[in-house]
Order: sequence, then C-alpha cells, then structure tokens
Amino acid sequence: MKANNIFDIKRSYLLVRRQVLSNAPVWLIAFGAVAGTLLVISLLVAYFQPQNLPGLSGLYFTVMFIGGYVYTSNIFGELHQSQKSYQYLTLPVSTTERLFSAWILTAVLFPLISVVLMALIVFLANLVMNFTFDVTPFQSVFSNSGWTAVKVYAVTQSVFLLGAVYFRKNNFLKTVLALFVVSVVIQIVIVSTAWILFSPISENGVNIGPQNMSLELEHFIMEYIPVTARLVFWYLTIPFFLTVSWFSLKERQV
Amino acid sequence: MVKIENLSFGYTRKQTLFDQLSLELVPGNIYGLLGRNGAGKTTLLKIIAGLVFPRNGSSRIGNMESKTRNPSALEDICFIPEEYHLPSIRIEHYVSINAPFYRRFDHEKLDWLLREFKLGSKDRLNQLSFGQKKKFLLAFGLSTSARLLLMDEPTNGLDIPSKSQFRRVIAASLTEEQSVVISTHQVRDLESLIDPVIIIDEGRIIFQQDLKSISSALSFETIEEIKENLRPIYYEEGLGGYSAILPNIRGKDTKLDLELLFNGVVSNNKGISEAFKQ
Repeated sequence: MKANNIFDIKRSYLLVRRQVLSNAPVWLIAFGAVAGTLLVISLLVAYFQPQNLPGLSGLYFTVMFIGGYVYTSNIFGELHQSQKSYQYLTLPVSTTERLFSAWILTAVLFPLISVVLMALIVFLANLVMNFTFDVTPFQSVFSNSGWTAVKVYAVTQSVFLLGAVYFRKNNFLKTVLALFVVSVVIQIVIVSTAWILFSPISENGVNIGPQNMSLELEHFIMEYIPVTARLVFWYLTIPFFLTVSWFSLKERQV
Repeated sequence: MVKIENLSFGYTRKQTLFDQLSLELVPGNIYGLLGRNGAGKTTLLKIIAGLVFPRNGSSRIGNMESKTRNPSALEDICFIPEEYHLPSIRIEHYVSINAPFYRRFDHEKLDWLLREFKLGSKDRLNQLSFGQKKKFLLAFGLSTSARLLLMDEPTNGLDIPSKSQFRRVIAASLTEEQSVVISTHQVRDLESLIDPVIIIDEGRIIFQQDLKSISSALSFETIEEIKENLRPIYYEEGLGGYSAILPNIRGKDTKLDLELLFNGVVSNNKGISEAFKQ
C-alpha cells in the first residue's frame, strides 16, 4: 500500500506515543515535582487562610504558563542534538506529522493534564482541610477566566513552538528575548505613531490632539483597532506561527 | 535506487565540498565509499539520507528528492552514523516505539540478529558498550527492511571477532533489492565484503569500479625490486619487498589489496585510469 506522504493520523499517533514513552520518566518527575510543590502550598493556604484557597488559581495558571512554555521550548530537543537528530530526521514521518504531534503534546495534552492536576490539587486541599467535598474551589479552576487562561496559553505557546524549532540551544530563553525585542520595537512604532498623530502642535501649527480628532478617526481607533487586534490574536496567531514553524522544520538540517 | 546528479555542496558559501558530483547506486550491491579525512564521505551519506541539502543539483531515492524527507522514501533508508545517542531504555521498549514506523519491519529477523550479537531484549541501551550499541543499531536497521542502508564507519569500536561477525551478518541478511553504502577508513576490515569500490577525493568521484573490473585491469603483487619493465602504477615499500599495483596485462588472478588500491588511486589516478582503458 502506498504511503501518504503528507499526513497520516496513524503515524502522528505513533509519533506522539514515541515522544511520550521515551520521555515519560523525565516528564513524570517534572509534573510530580511541580504538582507536589503546588499541593504543599495549597495545603498550607487551606490550613492557615482557607478563604484564600480559590485565589490560588492565579498561581496555578502562572505555573502552567511558565511550565508550558518551557516544555514547548524543549519539545524538539532531539532535533538540536546531532547524535539524536540523525534518528529523528530519518524517522519515516512527514514534516506536518512532526509539527502536529509536537503541537498536540504542548498545546492540547499539556494544558489538559495541567487543568486536571489543578482540579486534583484543589480537591485534595479542600478534602484534607475540611473533610468535605466543596465545589466552590473548583469554580476558580473551571471558571470562565480559567478557560480564557487556557485559550490564551494555547495561542501564546505557538510562539514558543516556533522558538523550539528555530533556535538550536537555550530555546526558552532565546524565545523570551526575541519576544522582548519584538515588543520593544512594536512599542517604539506605536509611541512614534501616536506622537506624530497626537503631538500638540503639528508642522503647520494645527493642533490635531485627541480633542480635535475627527469622529471617523476616533471611531477607527476606538472600535476597529481593538476588534482587529482581538481577531489577529485569537484567529491568526496560531496559524501564522504554525506555518512559519512548519517551514522552519522542513528546512532543518543536521 | 539512488541517483545523484550535478550535485554541489558546501557548509559555507565560500567553501565548496562537492562540485558537479554525479553518482548512481543500483540495488544488490555493497558499495565501499572510501576517501581521505574531510573528503566528504559522511556528508555524502547525509545528503543521500536527506539530512543536509545540496546547494545545487539533486539527490534522489527512487523518484523522490532526498531533501523532501517523504515518509515513503525514509522508510527505505536506514542511516547508521559513526556516533549516535541511544536513550536509556530497554531494547524491547526501543523496538516497541520505533519499529511501528516501518511497515515492513521484520521482528523475526531482529530476534535472530539479537541472538547472533548476544543481545537480550531486556538489556538497557545505555548500559551497552559502544560496540554493542553499534550491533544493536545494525540489527534494528537490517530489520527495518530498508532498501538502502547507509553506514558510516560501521566497524569502528568493534572487536576482532565482531568485525567478522559484522561481515557475516551483512552478507547473510541482505536481499537482492537492498543496497548498502559503507563509508570507511578501515578498508582491511571490509575488503572481503564491499563491491563496488567508490573513491571520493577533492569533491569528485575519482574512482568507481566493481571488483571484477579491478581484478581484470590491475594486479596486486609483492615484488622484490622495482623494475622499469614491470611498469608499476603505484608501489609501497614493505616487509620483504614492495607491494605494487601493476597493469594486469597477463590476466593474472591476484588478491585485491584495497588499501593499496586506495593509495594508488589517490596518488596516481591517471595511471590507474589508463590501466582500465587498456
């Protein structure tokens, strides 16, 4: 039977399975250590300040974001070590399957497991301290803001996925640095544009500050820019970074 | 099976390793790829495997460009590098997570090869010696039923019995559909195995002949003294006289000395080429 050279769900599954089984000990240790630390913190809070237990969800999600970014940054570890990359790159799977399996692990399975662990920690903390099952703490994990955090993670981790493919060493730190540089450049552009548009006196002596702004311009700035920014963030970020990652992975040599 | 046409490659823009290199490999052969250090033997294997990309020209496996790294092409390639990393898991675990990618993986063959190499399926890969790891990779590679096996210095790190075991296993387990390319410096380890011989130098294939052609064109002899009438193409002084390559005018059947041939080709390629034209 002729193989599909672009995408095969069975090969993708095998690749996810290979990644999980060959890294299981390390990942279990990492998950265990982080979850254990969070559990101890939760138990202490539940004992000394039980009213603050729901507020711990902020800490859980912060840990999930940082842990997820670090995990994503290392997902192509095999690719960046020459002795490992020979085998990884000659494994009979397509570029799409390599990227898809990495994305499934880091953007879908990781937050899923994290949320389950968070719920378990909250449940245990609540159970141990009160000896009762109270659903209130779960609301902080499964609330709207909790799901929004998971969605924000799924979008932003695509940037780290590109960093994982593109950089050969210190992927996490280099991605953070690249994000910092890009954000500084964007801020400079925004501030420069704002200064040109809204400086008190323009070249011909006419003040075009916010108080003199036309209604169309005000409407554009107040309505369209936030809507466009939201659309770009929620719907274009993942496809854009996955596409760039795909090309970067396809062109990768040892 | 493998067709390389007008291939140019360099690791940097200024430096060129291969220029207009062409080569064709057909199934059923064990090619010996010989060359000096830095001649590009390993790089050529990497290009064929799609691990590095040519600057110009093409390298194809069947109908597929190596650099596309298509799964169906990769299923037909097994690359065993000189240095490699194996995870700290058991052999059976490694096989269970990697073998399913190869649709023609032969588990019976793997069991046989592991027995031959005295490796147990419960052995942990990180606790094996360098030579044992190499044997495991070879066993796994042969079991994938890949049509093209690329081996970079496969006998490095093997002890003397293992070298002969390696030759025996390769000779016994290959089919007519399969090809092997062995890049090596240790020509004496493999001279009974490889045929044809490819010699690469200064970015070009300077020699590509099968053993039959070599034997009919050249004779490898030990002579006491160098006489002009013998017309030696190349000679080296050794114990008890000179090891020499002579034109095989009288159709003598002599034992091929691969190391001598390599030195002769690299030192006097013109003389060797002329002997093949006669």
